[in-house]
Amino acid sequence: MNNNLYCLITGASEGFGRALALECASRKMNLVLVALAGPELNFLADFIRRNYEVEVVALAADLCSEEQCNQLYQTICDRNLPVNMLINNAGLGSTMLFGEGNIAFYQKQVQLNVMATTLLTRLFLEILKANAPSYILNVGSLSCFFALPKKQVYGATKSFIYSFSRSLCAELKEDRVHVSVICPGGMNTNNSVTLLARSSGFISRMSIMNPEEVAGIAISGLLSRKEVILSGRLNRTFLLLNALLPGCIKNMITNRHMRNLASVTSPGTNQSSLHLVQKLNLARQ
Amino acid sequence: MNIFLTGATGYVGHELALALARKGDMVHILARDLSSPNIPRHENILVFKGDITDRNSIHVAMSDCAQVYHIAALVKIFDKHRSAFYKMNVDGTNNVLAEAIECGATKFVFTSTCGVIGNSVTVPKSENDPRTTGFNNEYEFTKSLAEDLVKEYSTKGISTVIVALSKVFGPGINTHPITVNKVIKRFLNGRPTFIPAPGSYVSNYCFIKDVVAGHQLAMAHGRTGEKYILGGENICYRDLFTKIRALSGTKALLLETPRILVQLWTVLQWIRYKLTGKEPLATLSGVKHIFCNKMFTSEKAIRELHYHLTPLGEALNETIRYLNNDPNE
Repeated sequence: MNNNLYCLITGASEGFGRALALECASRKMNLVLVALAGPELNFLADFIRRNYEVEVVALAADLCSEEQCNQLYQTICDRNLPVNMLINNAGLGSTMLFGEGNIAFYQKQVQLNVMATTLLTRLFLEILKANAPSYILNVGSLSCFFALPKKQVYGATKSFIYSFSRSLCAELKEDRVHVSVICPGGMNTNNSVTLLARSSGFISRMSIMNPEEVAGIAISGLLSRKEVILSGRLNRTFLLLNALLPGCIKNMITNRHMRNLASVTSPGTNQSSLHLVQKLNLARQ
Repeated sequence: MNIFLTGATGYVGHELALALARKGDMVHILARDLSSPNIPRHENILVFKGDITDRNSIHVAMSDCAQVYHIAALVKIFDKHRSAFYKMNVDGTNNVLAEAIECGATKFVFTSTCGVIGNSVTVPKSENDPRTTGFNNEYEFTKSLAEDLVKEYSTKGISTVIVALSKVFGPGINTHPITVNKVIKRFLNGRPTFIPAPGSYVSNYCFIKDVVAGHQLAMAHGRTGEKYILGGENICYRDLFTKIRALSGTKALLLETPRILVQLWTVLQWIRYKLTGKEPLATLSGVKHIFCNKMFTSEKAIRELHYHLTPLGEALNETIRYLNNDPNE
């Protein structure tokens, strides 16, 4: 890969985005890291500069704002950074009953997961074509294959990402812009999510992966031009079972599983770790 | 001054309690068993029956204490009861923090581990560097949760400071199945010593006396809400043991052990656990975290706290002398 080219990663300061940034840095790609303003973004950029021989540009932006998406694009143009890889990772997760969420939250979730991805892809399309061969990685979710309770809006936004990516992949082949969608299962992206994972049943605990493992699979899949990237043997087995099992049995399993899951949104800012430890009874099993 | 200290029957807490008592402070400590041989004995040390999972016992022992050192933790790779880590390291820390506020303590030093910061890549890691991997054991994960709590409390009316220790060695009591001291002792006794292959993996080793002083410096000068690495020199396994061999003259074999053999050993440990209930000293998923670099820099503590690093050779010499004369071994 040409050493002057850059990989742009959104939502890079924590969780899966951070793992993707570290994975790309270890593959000697220069990085544009985009995340909400905060010290973590600069800590990560600084860490990567000291440990890997790559260029890192850190840009703070709230991608829920259309204006800031446009500004981000303008900054990249002004600084003349040749981006040939766009990773749309920024997203807002949630596990909650539809009635538990308010409309402002769902609007934000759709805005970030759907609109920001669409907008950034559109904005950067010409730059990517100009620097071809180029790559777009969109982050979907395993939940876009299943009808899961407590994942209605989230799952739907990821289904959008899935359809969007596959269609775009077919469309951009001739421009030598490759599009992949990764559909990861549960990941230990932060302390709250890791706590939730620790409290779930044996099989789902086994299926949960660390972000650095999934990031390796994602970037390898993207560079080898896989259209849909799945991570983990167990997650692939879930998909196979999904195709084989009759509907009534699937419903029974998913309902039982999701009922037992506590409601949270990510990033887990709404609950302190202690609150979760106590709520999930982790200290008293 | 009255000082409350948890973990006094552990390695670091024991040494720190004695150091504070010798300076003339009154040290209030908790002990589950009042007849434990690990209780530090000094006229300035007041022993209270209790432990950090029992808030009442903390309340009684902490009254009139202005400063709190919270060192107690469940330190091991694996426990039969996963919940034990959450009970001790998360709930226990919350108990001590809540009581510190209740009892009117003004400063709180929390002892954590560099394991929360995680493995290094090419240069030594510092306090703000991100983890590059997920948590592979409940110990490091619950210590990370406890650090979150300690930071949270720094905005609730008490000045809290975190100190992160690397691998501690040097004179002191023995409270764990695998410690740097034990490995060095075996090596001195001429037993073959296994290190990860290649022997060039670098770890950080801190001297107990530096760590004890570092805790007091953090109490005196540590900034609220901040974390300080109290480490030592970064050195690879091969060089460390070559140094110990040169200093002590031991003829013990040093065996660089390939990863597959260590994996096999952890599997055997697991089988033994399933058959006899004896807890494993290492787990299969933890093996990749043995075969990696764990370099840290104490630069922030040196700059802000005036933390002092004893040169490794000097520290090893003192440790070797101690271990060779230790009547408890």
